Amino acid sequence: MTATREQLLSAIASTRAASAKVRQSHSTERIVSALAETARRWLVTDNPWRERAVVEAPAATGFSVAMVHEAVGLTFGALTKDAFEELLRREVGDRRPFHGPGIIAHFLAGNVPPPSINSICFGLLLKSANLVKVSGHDPVFPSLFVESLRGIDAGLADCVAVLDWRREEHALTETALAEADAVIAYGDDETIATLRRICRPDAHFVGHGHKLSFAVIAKDAVTKENLPSLVEAAAFDVSVYDQQGCLSPHAFYVEEGGQLGSREFAAALAEAMAAYQARVPRGTLSVEESAQIAKLRGAYEFRSATDRTVAIWASINANSWLVIYEEDPMFTPSCLNRVVFVKPIKNLESIPKLIERFASNLSTVGIAPMNPALSGMNEQATTFAAELAKVGVNRVCPVGQMQQPPLGWNHDGRPNLAELARWRSAHRSRLQR
Amino acid sequence: MNKTASELQRRVLALIGRGMDAPSTDAEFNDLAQAVFAFQFAHNGIYRAYCERLQHTPQTIQHWKDIPAVPTSAFKDFAITCFPVAEADAEFHTSGTTADKAGKHFFKTLELYDAAIRQSFVVHLLPDNMRLPMLVLTSSLADAPHSSLAYMMGRVVADFSAPDSGYYVERGALRVEQLVRALRKAEEARQPVFLLGTAFAFVHLFEYCEQQNLKFNMADGSRVMETGGFKGHTREMTKPDLYALFAHWLGIPSARIVNEYGMTELSTQFYDQTLRESRQTDHKLVPPWSRVMIIDLNTGQEAASGETGLIRVLDLANLYSAMCIQTEDLGVARDDGAFEVLGRSAGAEVRGCSLNAEALAKS
Repeated sequence: MTATREQLLSAIASTRAASAKVRQSHSTERIVSALAETARRWLVTDNPWRERAVVEAPAATGFSVAMVHEAVGLTFGALTKDAFEELLRREVGDRRPFHGPGIIAHFLAGNVPPPSINSICFGLLLKSANLVKVSGHDPVFPSLFVESLRGIDAGLADCVAVLDWRREEHALTETALAEADAVIAYGDDETIATLRRICRPDAHFVGHGHKLSFAVIAKDAVTKENLPSLVEAAAFDVSVYDQQGCLSPHAFYVEEGGQLGSREFAAALAEAMAAYQARVPRGTLSVEESAQIAKLRGAYEFRSATDRTVAIWASINANSWLVIYEEDPMFTPSCLNRVVFVKPIKNLESIPKLIERFASNLSTVGIAPMNPALSGMNEQATTFAAELAKVGVNRVCPVGQMQQPPLGWNHDGRPNLAELARWRSAHRSRLQR
Repeated sequence: MNKTASELQRRVLALIGRGMDAPSTDAEFNDLAQAVFAFQFAHNGIYRAYCERLQHTPQTIQHWKDIPAVPTSAFKDFAITCFPVAEADAEFHTSGTTADKAGKHFFKTLELYDAAIRQSFVVHLLPDNMRLPMLVLTSSLADAPHSSLAYMMGRVVADFSAPDSGYYVERGALRVEQLVRALRKAEEARQPVFLLGTAFAFVHLFEYCEQQNLKFNMADGSRVMETGGFKGHTREMTKPDLYALFAHWLGIPSARIVNEYGMTELSTQFYDQTLRESRQTDHKLVPPWSRVMIIDLNTGQEAASGETGLIRVLDLANLYSAMCIQTEDLGVARDDGAFEVLGRSAGAEVRGCSLNAEALAKS
């Protein structure tokens, strides 16, 4: 339902008023408790908000019911008290109380819930008024989340207005931006550039563009013993959110010389993709999306009959997933929707060069093996991660955890709270009253 | 090979020679299609390997619908021929958009191609048997020796045009001032003209007309053949929008505009029935020497009629390359056997926050 100008203006006034109250009444700890409690309740299977999400989200997001459940688990599972505390420790430390800009306008994008829900949480931790323009691909999660928060802490929930209007309605966008002291924008480069151009010159602007991710499997990880758990983790990273997320890997580079070869990895990954599909089916695709997969599958099927450097594994009688093995090491972006490349690589050192072209678009690199006991990485992975950081990768993590960044992860390499937080000295605050 | 090949060539030519309006029965088509399949299976090792992978051989195929299709992308990776490439009489290349390499279609002989072009063209564009000046908005074959479209234009200009015909694209650029002069001259003489070209070139012409504030009222009997020339170009326009521009700037109504569907990888073209039915149409009939199937995007099997899928063409005139071609174009089959082209399957919109291949190709 498209918002009217009156609704927008009234939302601005009401969230401003609510934010002013919360700044008086709420400690950061109280906000954390409310958010964590709201999230905890979502994780219970018969939570009414979760039930509504399962009914309402599939049509807009394109996800299957099982994927919506998966999304709920991933999104709200990350919002624990500990996670919020860790975020605050890292970004704010002892410098409390703090607050944020008067009004933050959030321009959400895409159908992947965590960035949207996290963005709202950050705005609430900042005690700002939050104007949230939802994405047409997910108008469901943000509003249900705020409604569920209302049951725990109505005053806090009043600091958020979730609105929906179409991108073409420039007048509404301009009205929102005229009021916003800060703008957090998600979307493609063009959208972000447009919003940046028309926001107030004094507004703090944070843009999160679309990104892509991939994974690297070092030869130590490709053992018979390791393979089943490795491919299960890999298939999970690819398949979650039907690969629509910026943390979803497009390709696996598999180092040669392991106990098993990269083809064996690809074949096992295909089985794991099929198993995940049986449990969490891929959603409904548009004609264009299906056509992209059908074209790619057809091309590689034909090639693989005579070209031994390519091979393909596909779901039977449906294009619900596709694993393409290709020896050409060039990084090939996927058409998404559970289509993934597996590429053998002689040595890991050559990878940064291969992905350089996409440097400005990179988000996360999953690595296996990573030893969680040793602060996450073994020595080889640590060196390799440093090399990746040089070309623009801002997060490395174990394969299987690509979709679960810590809440305190500096999205796109930027702080979530610190960038917008303000500390008011006692002296100054007396003067203002 | 020679005996089989020439025998098959003779049979395909005979079928083409019967013309558009002598439909082939399923049994008749099936018989020839199976013979062509056996020939291509025997003489195209790349294709044979693919068929064997699918466990489809001349022994197992009972019906033409089961003949394995060669994706158009294969023309980029392989020489899809049943003869040594060195013996090719001609080769046509796809335009090879962006970073893509071009596909190549090698022809042992152009005899089948020529016959297929003539038969369909006359029926769909010249049902009144008129001979008109052809103003061609593509390069000439001399200018673009590997363009199948330029070849086809050359063929129809040579066979069916009146004096004052000419080409109005040179080195990729529309010679728009010369074209406008030719149009004005014909308009003043009340001489009907036949405009042929890509949709992209026509849009360019109309942009010029708008800038220069030029309008024409072309004589009755004028007509247009436009072909999907938007490949690789970012601008998109719907057919009704494009046709409205013809009416607005040239005074040629949509009932005089015929869309052609053809591609480098095929020898046969398909046309809207517009001039035959004296009204704007969107459906294409399949000539007796070919068949069209719409392939379900998910199952890879034939789609139900009315369902959108990828267009697959069986073209017997592709005797020396591959008869069964899987295109990347979307289409819909109708109950009466005609089909509608919905266009090239364009890139999908990003739904999440990940970039996809299409979005990156654009950036």
